[in-house]
Amino acid sequence: MARESSERGRRVVRARAGARLLLAGVAVAICAVSLAFVSAATAKREHPRASGVPQAGAPAAPETTTSSSAPSQPSTPASQSGDASGATRPAAREHAHRHDDGGGRSKGEPAQSPGASSESATPARPKPSSEHSATGSAAQTSQAEPAREQGPGHKHEREREREHERGHHKDGSGGEPKHPREGGRHGKGHSREGGASGEEPGTATGSGSGSGTAGSGASSSAEGGTGPGASLTAPAIAAPQPLPAPAAVAPAAPAAIATNATLPGVPVTHAPVGRRHGARATHRARRTSTGRRGASAGVAERLASAPLALSSAAATAPLALSSAAATAPTHARRAERSREDSRGVQAPATSPLVRTITKIVNVVPVALRWVIAALLALALALAARSWLAALRARRLEHQRTQLLADVGLLQAALLPAVPARLGPVGTSVAYQPATGPGAGGDFYDVFALEDGQIAVIVGDVSGHGRQALPYTALVRFTLRAYLEAGLSPRDALQTAGAVLDRQLGGAFATVVVATYQPRERLLVYACAGHPPPLVLGSNMRAGSLLPVTVCGAPPIGVGMRTGTRQSTISIPGRAQICFHTDGVTEARVDSQASVHARLFGAERLAEALADLGLGATAQELLARVAERAETRPDDMAACLLSIDGGSEQPMVLVDELELDRAQARGERTERFLLACGVPGEEIAEVTRSAYAAAGPASTVVLELRRTGAAPEIALRRDHLAYLHARRRRAEAEVGAR
Amino acid sequence: MRSRDEKTDRPTQASTSFEIGKRELDARTSVVSVAGELDLVSAPQLKWTLVDAFEEGASQVVLDLSQTTFMDSTALGVLVGVQRNLEDGERFAIVCAQAVVLRIFEISGMDGAFSIFATLEEALAGERADTARAI
Repeated sequence: MARESSERGRRVVRARAGARLLLAGVAVAICAVSLAFVSAATAKREHPRASGVPQAGAPAAPETTTSSSAPSQPSTPASQSGDASGATRPAAREHAHRHDDGGGRSKGEPAQSPGASSESATPARPKPSSEHSATGSAAQTSQAEPAREQGPGHKHEREREREHERGHHKDGSGGEPKHPREGGRHGKGHSREGGASGEEPGTATGSGSGSGTAGSGASSSAEGGTGPGASLTAPAIAAPQPLPAPAAVAPAAPAAIATNATLPGVPVTHAPVGRRHGARATHRARRTSTGRRGASAGVAERLASAPLALSSAAATAPLALSSAAATAPTHARRAERSREDSRGVQAPATSPLVRTITKIVNVVPVALRWVIAALLALALALAARSWLAALRARRLEHQRTQLLADVGLLQAALLPAVPARLGPVGTSVAYQPATGPGAGGDFYDVFALEDGQIAVIVGDVSGHGRQALPYTALVRFTLRAYLEAGLSPRDALQTAGAVLDRQLGGAFATVVVATYQPRERLLVYACAGHPPPLVLGSNMRAGSLLPVTVCGAPPIGVGMRTGTRQSTISIPGRAQICFHTDGVTEARVDSQASVHARLFGAERLAEALADLGLGATAQELLARVAERAETRPDDMAACLLSIDGGSEQPMVLVDELELDRAQARGERTERFLLACGVPGEEIAEVTRSAYAAAGPASTVVLELRRTGAAPEIALRRDHLAYLHARRRRAEAEVGAR
Repeated sequence: MRSRDEKTDRPTQASTSFEIGKRELDARTSVVSVAGELDLVSAPQLKWTLVDAFEEGASQVVLDLSQTTFMDSTALGVLVGVQRNLEDGERFAIVCAQAVVLRIFEISGMDGAFSIFATLEEALAGERADTARAI
């Protein structure tokens, strides 16, 4: 029963744990979703910041390069610029160093050139030479524009040379439709003069710049100064952000326009001056343009637009472009790093999932966000709670198994396992709980005593259920202790009865205590309110030995003196001795029959025992009883002793009855004597003798030896209240003989 | 009074019937009679009926078990409890002629603890006689 319920409980616990886990899972899922929401929200919040990083870089760039690029910086999309720069980067980086060199030279050239503007540009030289100077370019570019406006150039020849080069390239450059024409003239003119650095196919911008420089000698020189300066300074701009490059181009264009306006006819004269410079510019332009080509169309347009605006001024644009392009490469690493950084921040925003969630989050009203936050908190709390509950359930389950193990140990203490054989005697025990409430209270014990005797204790504590448990243990161990100490069953019961009477808390215990002496084949048993054992001989069909039950001793704990009866049975042959509790004989067989037929009874028990035969075990017996019984209102406990031997039938040797003075003259004593076969005419004399033998405060033991036709009656005084009384009794016995 | 045997799996078949009645012969004497079975189910009711009888002022309570067909250790425990809690001047007698019940008393060894009589008349008369003999 207990196992079934425990199984059920375990199942329930498991189911609950499973439900909790499920709940936890759902909660976690909710948490995950809401977390995604929140993260999306935060990402969205951060997004402007993230995209702002480049923007912030852009402003920073203008700060450093302000004059050159920032003011007119077109608001090109960050992505475009970024991509463009990224695309140009590899090529640009390669050229960066060359370009720098060129820049350095070009600056040096302007310095040599007589142009006043070049003078103004000179202060910027040192800065250009130091690659990372960011400030120079601003001033230089600003100075450069005025220089262009001033128009008169001094480095015409050089510029011319470069223009020639550009002219070569110009032809090849079909990117800028109008510019080629204007610049083309100059370019073609100059291209003959010098083909310095025309290795690469010319680009539109290159040609444009060439013509531009040619158009404005001073300006070109100034640009030569600015170019490098820009190229060096621009990095500061370009590094943080790719934007500056195009930006730098754009501002250059207006500047170029201005120049162009002022210097319509100059180009040819200026050409020589700007030769080298122009050549370098071409390089730059080429680089930039090549870079740009690969880049976005928008940038290309801008590049194109610059030359478009003016042929002469177009040179400035390329220059600016080139410078910008150069700057980007120089600090490619930094730029890359920054880009990476910016990408790192922007990455979540670019993910389609996050973008979708961000959109959703944008749609979600603030109030709803609070609700979601509250739900998230709730889900977290529930998850934590369910987690804790699962933990607790696991702990409880563990405790439960431990408790069950403990209960098993306790039950084993009350219903111990018994060896199948104790000496020559086969032993078996069995216990079956009741089919209804009121279980518990039955106990048994079978063990070997020191002198080779086998002791049996079978009992039942009234007040069934858990309250009975401590008392069953108490009674069993007390009795066992007295038996181990060497007391006879009756003495043990009497002593235990005296000791335990006040300790059973109102409950009482019915017990049968027995010892079997294998050598003499004697069974001695004493009952306290308990059914006597069934003793079946080799002829088991003859039924069990019928002991005298009159004057039975009362149970332990009813406030009466117990352990007053004892029987000694000789078992010369094969025999089966069955100790049992009243639950066995009170099992209901047929509820429709009369009362006698309804109870299983001792007779049916003897029959069942005979059916099973000599080798039967207690388990088999109780199984048979349970099989035949409709209901078992009480627990059933049984203990079987199987004794081998001949076919001699067991017989009662001695019946003992302890009497006090009042009982000696009582009606019960008379009935007892009658049941034992004492002739009626002797009874009065026996009772009178017993009354006399028992003192006013003492008892006397009636001992009936039933070996003959009429029992031998012996009277002896007994004091079993104390253990030392045993010795006294032994002495008395010796004296009597 | 019918009761259903709750400790059984098949209540229809295993239901036990019992009837507990109480009558007062005079101001000092109550007779409690039990018909049917005294077991785990009916024992508690028997207990309270007997306790009530004494608490209502009766000094003599006779338990008539003439119609009782069976008695188990639980019911025996009830009787023991009543017997042990008798106050001075209170008496508890049992009338029982059923061999089954008498045997139960005998086996339990409690037949000596109670004043058991064959008939109600004997019990009512025997109270006095018993008292006389005890002295």
